Amino acid sequence: MSQFFLAVITILCGGLFSLVLTGNKTLSRSIGVILISAGSLWGLLSSATSLMTGGEGVAAFSFLNVFEFVFRMDGLSAFFLMAIFLVCLVAAIYSYHYMDGHGSALGTAANYFFFSVLAASMALVVTAGNMISFLISWEIMSLSSFFLVIYNYQSEESRKAGFMYFVFSHVGVVFLFAGFGLMYGVTGTFGFDAAGAMPEGIKLAVFILTFIGFGSKAGVFPFHVWLPHAHPAAPSHISAVMSGCMIKTGIYGIFRVYTLLGLTTPAAGYLVLIAGIVSGILGVAYALGQNDIKRMLAYSSIENIGIILIGTGVGMTGVATGNSLMAALGFAGGMLHVLNHAVFKSLLFMGAGMVLHKTGTRSIDALGGLLKSMKITGTAFIVGSLAISGLPPFNGFVSEFFIYLGSFNGVGLSGGALVAGLCAIVSLAVIGGLALACFTKIIGIAFQGEPRTDAAVDKNEKGATMLLSMVALALACAVIGIFPAAFLNMALMAVGSLGLNMADIPLAPFGELTSNITFGAFIFLVLFILVAGIRALAYRGKPLAKSGTWGCGFTQPTVKMQYTGASYSGSILELFGPAVPVAEDHPPIQGRFPEKTYYKSQVNDVAEEQMNRRVVNPVLFFFDRLRWIQHGDTHLYIGYILLAIVLLLFFV
Amino acid sequence: MESILLWLAAILIAPFFSALILKVKAFFGGKKGPPLLINYYTLIKLFKKGSVYSNSTTFVFKLGPIVSCCTALTVLLFLPIAGFDPVFSFKGDVILVLYLLGLGRFFTIAAAMDTASPFEGMGAAREAYFPILCEAAMFMILIFFYRITGMVQLSAFFAGAGTAGLWQAAGAPLIFIVIALFIILLTENSRVPVDDPATHLELTMIHEVMVLDHSGPDFALIELGSFCKLFFYSAIISRLAFPFDTGIAGYNLGIFALVTGCVYLVVGVTESVIARYRMDKVPQFVLTSFALAFFATIITMEFIK
Repeated sequence: MSQFFLAVITILCGGLFSLVLTGNKTLSRSIGVILISAGSLWGLLSSATSLMTGGEGVAAFSFLNVFEFVFRMDGLSAFFLMAIFLVCLVAAIYSYHYMDGHGSALGTAANYFFFSVLAASMALVVTAGNMISFLISWEIMSLSSFFLVIYNYQSEESRKAGFMYFVFSHVGVVFLFAGFGLMYGVTGTFGFDAAGAMPEGIKLAVFILTFIGFGSKAGVFPFHVWLPHAHPAAPSHISAVMSGCMIKTGIYGIFRVYTLLGLTTPAAGYLVLIAGIVSGILGVAYALGQNDIKRMLAYSSIENIGIILIGTGVGMTGVATGNSLMAALGFAGGMLHVLNHAVFKSLLFMGAGMVLHKTGTRSIDALGGLLKSMKITGTAFIVGSLAISGLPPFNGFVSEFFIYLGSFNGVGLSGGALVAGLCAIVSLAVIGGLALACFTKIIGIAFQGEPRTDAAVDKNEKGATMLLSMVALALACAVIGIFPAAFLNMALMAVGSLGLNMADIPLAPFGELTSNITFGAFIFLVLFILVAGIRALAYRGKPLAKSGTWGCGFTQPTVKMQYTGASYSGSILELFGPAVPVAEDHPPIQGRFPEKTYYKSQVNDVAEEQMNRRVVNPVLFFFDRLRWIQHGDTHLYIGYILLAIVLLLFFV
Repeated sequence: MESILLWLAAILIAPFFSALILKVKAFFGGKKGPPLLINYYTLIKLFKKGSVYSNSTTFVFKLGPIVSCCTALTVLLFLPIAGFDPVFSFKGDVILVLYLLGLGRFFTIAAAMDTASPFEGMGAAREAYFPILCEAAMFMILIFFYRITGMVQLSAFFAGAGTAGLWQAAGAPLIFIVIALFIILLTENSRVPVDDPATHLELTMIHEVMVLDHSGPDFALIELGSFCKLFFYSAIISRLAFPFDTGIAGYNLGIFALVTGCVYLVVGVTESVIARYRMDKVPQFVLTSFALAFFATIITMEFIK
């Protein structure tokens, strides 16, 4: 544990020094980057070691003799710590050139300060050993990320996004308080250990309450509304951290509470599975509808949270039906997807950040042809897209493969497990296909073809640390995809601390499956080299001509004629009907001398609209009535406090 | 060893089978039609040529044909041909196979988008759309097979006595599955009524329009890949249609070739007697295969406990 705390302190020092040394812009940024990445690397190594050796640790600090802060490291914590430290390490390195000339010196320093606080608090969340330490770390995490979201506070969009995030994270935490409060009420202790002994009904209630709280952090549909606003507003390395690991703390919470409660009722598994299926399918459908590159990635995070929850739900169903192989496959697949998503989503956000940094726009319809001027970024982005679409030989395939196999195990059973497995398989297949459509869209429109506006003409991709981070992550996608054995073992170590009876789980098939994946990837690569060789032979000494694209007989093509993002996704979105409504605005062409017209389309989020109509507006109406209480008179406010205390005394 | 020979033979013979479709369509059109070896002539011609590349394209455009051909070849390695064991086989290989086909599709789409052509973008959007439904149907079929065999492995379904076992266990619903697979074959391989490979209007094409800018050996690789892909689906249907083992390898191969030829003939007849559907009707057609597979699975729940 001491290694872990030293790593966290190093990270915090990075932020503090950066703030202290604001006077010298480069020095302040450098010290922030160096200490945060050094601390993250340290933490990464120590958590990987403790995961591999199975080491567990506990540390307790007493605070004012009232509360005790307990931090505990087990396999589950260590696995999430790995993902957190990995993303923070790469994001810190990336930020060195990204923050170059970005805003004021104080702003940059504040960014590093809150970045370090966010990294440290995430690490504390996943190691927290009792309610107090958990909730305090959780709150620090929410607040620090709120300050990072409003980094561009001059823009109204950022402020709005920040406010929305603030409200959502606090409503979410209220559910956590309710869940933990219920737990405290029954067990009478802030510790987690007694939770397993509660009655089944209470357990389920606690699980549902905390699931809503954690789900709103993780971006589970329909509690995801803040996510597509907040992620694009933050600077790109922060988007990478938020999407890559901060929302995973919600997943961690679900895993942790599930373990603590030792739930065996199938209802919990179905709840998680349904939430996963809905988030997965609608998340990717909304992603497909977006034309803002970072918003699209944000929705795609919702999709991937869905995949993780599908894996978890399959695992929980496996536990409930006593099928330990199904449980292990589902949990391991979901767990591995946590790591995989952290890798490829941060890669994609960094690629989007590079595009935003150089072109100044996030709208893919203003871009095009970037692959020619940004070769490394473009290639890394393609690798990330292949991985996130779950295609072999990259890492996304590996985790989906295990979730599939787990679900097939469920199909072999009967009743609820059969339905669960069936739904999981079919929705994973649909999610895979939609993700492919979504990411070929983003690559095809933004990176390929010809530049649609001047914003995309003649750009470069300078910034060595940015390129380095992306290349490293792209390589990680390939390495995990081709050699998954070590990573799957880590995931299994984490699954081991979920309270499953590991002795029941046959581990031999896992080794066989990973070696099969490696084998399959090699067959593919060998044939790839073979075919490429044949192609090279066929072209030896041949004339290669350059010419314009064949316009099917049309001789005056312009870049405006290229397919747009909205037209690419239009027909697929029609399939979803009212679940993914496309709002179009297009004044018709009229008269002999028609006026200039335009076409505008946008996908409206059903959850956001309904929430506005059914929750936000009534609440605002109600509070509007209560305005008279807020009169600005300090004396009366003190009176309120006294009155509240006196009233509370009756109940104590 | 014999599996590798079969694999090579399958790649070599796939273009011949595709020519059967042309012949049938010519027959229905009252024409003589191209020679049966037409596809070999075309491939040889294309391999001899050079290429013209669009100024808009990048390395992805050149990668597209390699990946789409190579995934089709890899997929055939896992396919049991005529009931013989495939070259490679492992638990869950069919998931890898379906995702490899997805990888090929990713690069075909990416290569099409690389040209900046609006027509190719249109084709790409459709190519991204219909296979989503196909994949759902395909996995539904896998669920059906899993219910019966308890395996997710191509060789468990189509090698040795596996297929005959499927018929014994669930004969009636398996007819649904064969029809569903046929619909998937038509969709995945861009045949009528989903796509018309022989149309002259780029606006209505799906697959053909995506490869408009490819030429020479690149185009030959794409063609070879699509012949192999069509062979993959046809071989599965053919094995389901004739699941028996005569005991003599030569007979098995001969009958398999005959039945596979018949599958291609049926594709040809379908293309000749059905007009292509309007684009917005295609999803309903594809979803039919999902519904069939779903009902087949439901039926197994009642009869196979």
